[in-house]
Amino acid sequence: MALWVDKYRPRELSKLDYHKDQAENLRNLCKQSDFPHLMFYGPSGAGKKTRIMCLLREMYGAGVERLRNETMSFTTPSNRKIEVMTVGSNYHLEVNPSDAGMYDRTVVIDLIKQVAQTHQIDINGQREFKVIVISEGDELTKDAQHALRRTMEKYVATCRIILSVNSTSRIIPAIRSRCLGIRVPAPSENEMTAVLQSTCKREGLVLPPELAKRVVEKSERNMRRALLMLEASKVQQYPFTAQQQIAELDWQVYLRETATQIVSEQTPAKLEKIRDRLYELLSQGVPPNLIFRGLVEQLVNNCDMSIKAKTLEYATQYEHRMQNGAKHIFHLEAFVAQFMNIYKKFLAELVMTDDF
Amino acid sequence: MSAKRKPWVKSAFSELNMTPKASPTAASVKRTRSASAAAAGKSRSQNTTPTTDAVVDLTVKENEKDGLTPTVSDNWMEGFAPTTSDDLAVHPKKVCDVRNWLQHCEAMRKKHPAQICLLTGPAGCGKTATLRVLAQEFGYELQEWINPTDCEEINALGDQPNEGSYMGSQLVAFKSFLLRASRYKSLLTAQNKRLLLVEDFPNVLLKDATATFEDLLDEYVNYGKSPLVFIVADSKSRALNISYKLFTDQLKAKLRIEHISFNSIAATIMQKSMKRFATMMQQQQHKALYKVPTQTVLDSIVVCAQGDIRNALINLHFGSLKGAPSMATKQLNVTATSKGRKRKATNTLKSIGRDESITMMHALGRVFNPKYNEDNDKCLLHSPEEIAEAFCIEPRNFINFVHANYLPHFHDVANVNAAVNDIGLADMLLHEYRDDSLSLVGLTIAVRGCMVANVAPVSGWMPVRGPKRLTIEPQLTPAEQKLLGVGYAGISKRLYASEYSSFVKTIVKQTN
Repeated sequence: MALWVDKYRPRELSKLDYHKDQAENLRNLCKQSDFPHLMFYGPSGAGKKTRIMCLLREMYGAGVERLRNETMSFTTPSNRKIEVMTVGSNYHLEVNPSDAGMYDRTVVIDLIKQVAQTHQIDINGQREFKVIVISEGDELTKDAQHALRRTMEKYVATCRIILSVNSTSRIIPAIRSRCLGIRVPAPSENEMTAVLQSTCKREGLVLPPELAKRVVEKSERNMRRALLMLEASKVQQYPFTAQQQIAELDWQVYLRETATQIVSEQTPAKLEKIRDRLYELLSQGVPPNLIFRGLVEQLVNNCDMSIKAKTLEYATQYEHRMQNGAKHIFHLEAFVAQFMNIYKKFLAELVMTDDF
Repeated sequence: MSAKRKPWVKSAFSELNMTPKASPTAASVKRTRSASAAAAGKSRSQNTTPTTDAVVDLTVKENEKDGLTPTVSDNWMEGFAPTTSDDLAVHPKKVCDVRNWLQHCEAMRKKHPAQICLLTGPAGCGKTATLRVLAQEFGYELQEWINPTDCEEINALGDQPNEGSYMGSQLVAFKSFLLRASRYKSLLTAQNKRLLLVEDFPNVLLKDATATFEDLLDEYVNYGKSPLVFIVADSKSRALNISYKLFTDQLKAKLRIEHISFNSIAATIMQKSMKRFATMMQQQQHKALYKVPTQTVLDSIVVCAQGDIRNALINLHFGSLKGAPSMATKQLNVTATSKGRKRKATNTLKSIGRDESITMMHALGRVFNPKYNEDNDKCLLHSPEEIAEAFCIEPRNFINFVHANYLPHFHDVANVNAAVNDIGLADMLLHEYRDDSLSLVGLTIAVRGCMVANVAPVSGWMPVRGPKRLTIEPQLTPAEQKLLGVGYAGISKRLYASEYSSFVKTIVKQTN
């Protein structure tokens, strides 16, 4: 048993559901025996990882699908042991250095050295290089990115790096220029509906078009989310009805409630409660930038037109600070306090104008 | 112990080889402070070349010419040390505690001679002095462990030329000190009761070996023959805090270690003992050296010392030496006492004295309840810069504490907004690793921001909470892991938390 997302993930470039022209280009890239370092970029759930795996399969054959888990341990310069889970085959290795937090630099350097210094044993005319897939490359610290730049160049003969990133803006220019960038846009709504329908067909389910449409809308053009949502909705209620409730991400629901609370009361005591809720979200592991974004969206939806612009202006300011700082909760809280302040003033003015 | 004392029997300690040469008054058991000093002195005098002798002679002559009587001993402070328990500047209750413990030791002497006591307290609060005075009162001979330096080790064994010198482990030496010094008495002293004192902890114990320390004490409790006292000065940092690291609560309970914790000396008691020092300075043997310090200087020394009597004595010594100009003092602040009728000026010494150190709780109180100068409303009583400087070693920690606790002290969201804005800015500055000085700037901004923004502080007692630590634990159940398969390792924690977690949970829950 596996999740639909994994079960029906296209395995070959020719079987991809959308962006077919791009798939053709990627196949051409593989026809030559070599390819440069690659950087797949695009929004979350657009199909970057799927394309990377298809590309690797095209390159090395079915062997790349024999995946195995491996826990690699690294020792930082400060003598701290960190363990990173990797998944890989004989030909490639996929790693998430951002899981190592501030120690990602050590992971990047050591890992690439380990992989690159062992030459591929040439069994049957395979490629002579291994591939390292770095997912969430944009979460790498600047330090790690600079380390990556050097190692990328040094070991180019024995290994290629494929980066999967959401936004190139957080990748240093030195790395951007060393990689061939491949943009993977989010699928259009029609494409997504088609994928959902074909998935249900293969599962032997009947999916009402209205429901498919609603799921696509809810998922914000995120293919992975749409499929997970559909599967979760299926286990909740099947047969499908057009108006059935769609499973939602619990942290989004929680965030929505938080936003309503912010609008309902503006006092330091309330702010303290909000802080606890934010801590709760952070300790669940939800990335702070998603929390921030979700919060801003909800608040802007909930407030009057006249203060929307101001709210957004402050949001950008605090978001920027959050990226530069270390304690995310400070900046989330600062934004909430700022919004409370603006909103309270707005309410006070409203009362005054009503009086006259 | 047998009454026979045969001088040719080799003692467990190497004193025997030294005793014929060393003066009997100075020599004590090996590794007591005075003994090591005497040994050092002895070896020096043995090895000195004629030239150094001449130099020594010259100085002596000079002293005589000036008419100064060389009354000051090697350690002039010893002259001022308290000799009776009434002279002690320690709070009588604490003295009583220690006395009770010693009485308890007396009572248990036959059955359980190896009692252990731990004295803690800030530096210079009279821990050692109390113990010395009381040990004398009870007729105990104090034997102190001093960490041997490597060269001392060689010297000590160097007295036995043929046995060769070796470097033993410090831990072994410490252990043998504990077990043997408590068991065998020195031949040179009449007292039969010994009290072991450890103020200097072997370095090995500080590193990690808490387990060895426990074993050591276990053994001591079983085999030791005299009471053992550990003296530990408080330290701010937890890593260096011996009483916290070595003497865990379990250990204390298990071995029935008496823990007596001293407080820093109160200003009134300090005043009293300063008077005692001043009168002693006017006695015959000191009169040539000291002049009478003014009352202002005395008062400011007390203020500066902050309960550290040793420091106060040093300052007094320095401030009242003859020929030195009187010490510069500066007015610290004016405090109104008793309904503002009587105004009392507090002075501190300008150039010397301890830095004012404040605890975290104290500083947080100053940040959250900002006070303004009486005559100048715009001027904060405690400058944010000073508070920031006191914590510049660990700015992050302090800011985290401020953040965890500031909210209940505010009345209005607008003020909160201003404060948290500055805290956020400070966080950003602290994260900037390229410039070291920014951390202090950031801390100052956070502190000042909080103080200035809090226009109308909420008064009342509020417990201080520690900053929250985030532990992200997306622990997967086996069923969830199975569902995800091998590819699970390829999903990062944050991605899992934001996209997969809630769906996977529902799917697993509904299918089972």
